[in-house]
Amino acid sequence: MAAPAPRTTTCVLGPQITVRGSLSGEEDLVVEGRLEGSVSLVGHLVVAPGGTVEADLDVTSVEVHGDVRGDIVASRSVTIERGAQVVGNVRAPRVMIHDGARFDGAVEMDVQLPEGLGRVR
Amino acid sequence: MRRGAPRRFPLPLRFPQADIMANTVIGSTIVIDGEITGDEDLVVQGTVKGRVSLRENIFVEESGVVEANVETATITIHGRVTGDIHATERAELKSNCRVVGDIRAPRVLIADGASFKGSVDMDG
Repeated sequence: MAAPAPRTTTCVLGPQITVRGSLSGEEDLVVEGRLEGSVSLVGHLVVAPGGTVEADLDVTSVEVHGDVRGDIVASRSVTIERGAQVVGNVRAPRVMIHDGARFDGAVEMDVQLPEGLGRVR
Repeated sequence: MRRGAPRRFPLPLRFPQADIMANTVIGSTIVIDGEITGDEDLVVQGTVKGRVSLRENIFVEESGVVEANVETATITIHGRVTGDIHATERAELKSNCRVVGDIRAPRVLIADGASFKGSVDMDG
C-alpha cells in the first residue's frame, strides 16, 4: 500500500462539533466531537476520548478511545483502547481489544484454520 | 500522522492565516455530505455539502468548497462557496474566492479580485 502523502495538518472534528451525514476522504481523521451517519475513509481514524461516532465505518484502520455505535470494517486493523465503548460488529484482519475497553458485538477476522479442521458452520 | 506512531492530539492547531485557534479541520480530501453544527471554529480545506450552522468562525481555505447554506458568527472565504450565508457578525470575501449566493451580515467585506454573485443584506 502506498505511503500516505505528508500533510501539514490532520483533519480534526473538534469536541464542540456535530457532523450528521456521510463523510468520505483519503486522509487521517480525529473525531473529538460527534459524528453520525456513515464514514468511508482511506486512512487512520481516531475516535478520541470523549468522541462519539454513531456510524458504520469503512476505514483502513481505526483506534477507538471514545464511543462507537455501528459496524466497523477496517482493511488493516481495529484497536479498541482502554476506556472505549464499542457496540457493533467488527471486521478486520487485526482486531485488538485492550483491557478496560467495553465491547458488545461480533468480531470477524480472516482465520486460517489448520488443515483437516473443518469450519463448523 | 505516520503509521505505527499514532499522534496523541497536539491540539489545538494554529492557523496564522485565519488568526484563529482551530480545533476542527475538514481536510482537503474529506467530503462531508450532511450537516455540521457546533460551537467552535471550523477550517474547511475539503468539501462540505448540506448545511453548516456554527456560532463561531468559519474559514474556507483556497482548496475549500462549501455547497451549503451557512449560519455562523463570522466567515472568511478564500475558496468557493455556493449557498446562502447568514453571519451574525461578519462575512469576508478574500481575493480569488468565488461565492454564489445571498449574504446577510452586518459587516460584509469584499476584497479586490473576489468573484461574487448574489445579494448583500447588511440590515438583517
